[in-house]
Amino acid sequence: MTNVLPQQAGLRVNGVIYQYTAVKETQDDMLVHVQNENARGPGYIFRETDDWSGLPGNTINKLVPINMIDISYWGNGSIEVEGTGAVEDAEVIYSYQYDPCFDPQSDPNCPGYVDLFSIEVMNPDITDPLDEEYVQAELDRKANMKAQEEEEREEARKKALANKTVEKNLESILGIVKELDMFSSQALLQHDLLVNLNLLPNSYQVALKGGVYPDGQMPPDGKLPSNKNGLRLGMGSQILHDKLVELQYEKK
Amino acid sequence: MFKKIITLTLLTLCVNAFAEDIPIRGKVESKCIVTQDTAGVYGNPLPEELSTDPTDGGVDPVVRYDVIQASYYKAKITHPVSFNDSPTLSDVVTWTGSTSVDQVSDTNMSGYDTSKVEYDNVTEVDLTVAGSTWFKVESQADYGYDKAFPAGDYEAIVTAECIAL
Repeated sequence: MTNVLPQQAGLRVNGVIYQYTAVKETQDDMLVHVQNENARGPGYIFRETDDWSGLPGNTINKLVPINMIDISYWGNGSIEVEGTGAVEDAEVIYSYQYDPCFDPQSDPNCPGYVDLFSIEVMNPDITDPLDEEYVQAELDRKANMKAQEEEEREEARKKALANKTVEKNLESILGIVKELDMFSSQALLQHDLLVNLNLLPNSYQVALKGGVYPDGQMPPDGKLPSNKNGLRLGMGSQILHDKLVELQYEKK
Repeated sequence: MFKKIITLTLLTLCVNAFAEDIPIRGKVESKCIVTQDTAGVYGNPLPEELSTDPTDGGVDPVVRYDVIQASYYKAKITHPVSFNDSPTLSDVVTWTGSTSVDQVSDTNMSGYDTSKVEYDNVTEVDLTVAGSTWFKVESQADYGYDKAFPAGDYEAIVTAECIAL
């Protein structure tokens, strides 16, 4: 039926009008079936039978109302003759109705049409995960821990500072602090006296020559030969080690 | 005395009671409809002949009867025996005609041709099957004895009636 009915969604057949001329002898039995197969199942979606048995042949022009059957159900059509006789000048007309609002969105005038541009922008209910109670509790716990750690660190710093002060005082008391002695005037006088008496080596006053000091004697071929004596000693140590290890597995 | 007065009063009330006529209206529409399907045309194959036969260049008029209720009506079709409009004719016109079933909407109507009653220029058919029946009327007019029809326009009338049985 794809070449008969326009393939349009929403198209429904509401009637079949057919006409043909039955050619027969009056006494003959003759059945004429005008039919359409069911495209979506077995059997026929439309089947009208005209019984011409015992009747003279004539031209029939018949309108059969159909209860709005969707186009998808209409399969191939045919006129079948059962008995003696023939059908001539057959013509079948399908009356259909197209529902332009089959898809409501196809026309703004259709009932059920939704203007997509008029839909208000939806404001989703956004929940900040940070506002969750358990997240807040965790954040508070971490903040408390940090503050506590900071406090402990500050305490430790203060404690360390206090210990340092005590230590410094002790150093002062014990005269361990050399910096002050080195730069005291008395120390300087002593240093001058010792220099004048040549009691300090001259090397103390002479700066060493700078530059690059080359490496000493190197192996001729750049390779360090194996020490055979060392190898022997190593093997002896290894044998002794193995013996000691095996000792622990010996049965008592 | 008091009882008599009461009785008289009641009788007076009864005599003076109002009356009202209430109409009941209804409308009957025929369940048989007659419609012109095809207008006829006279062909003029010979100078003395006017015919609706297609082989003579004419067109047979067709009338359709739509019957909603079976067996309540009969079709009465009269083929013409005179011109409704024509030039002045000085000679006799011989009329012949017939009415037959042209198309049916039910196979059982095919039997109308055998059950029809014909008299004079009238054909009567009992409409025993609900549905539509097309009747074809053939009409032929022969003028004089091999005499040519005068030039002009001719018109004859086919009368189709639906009569309640």
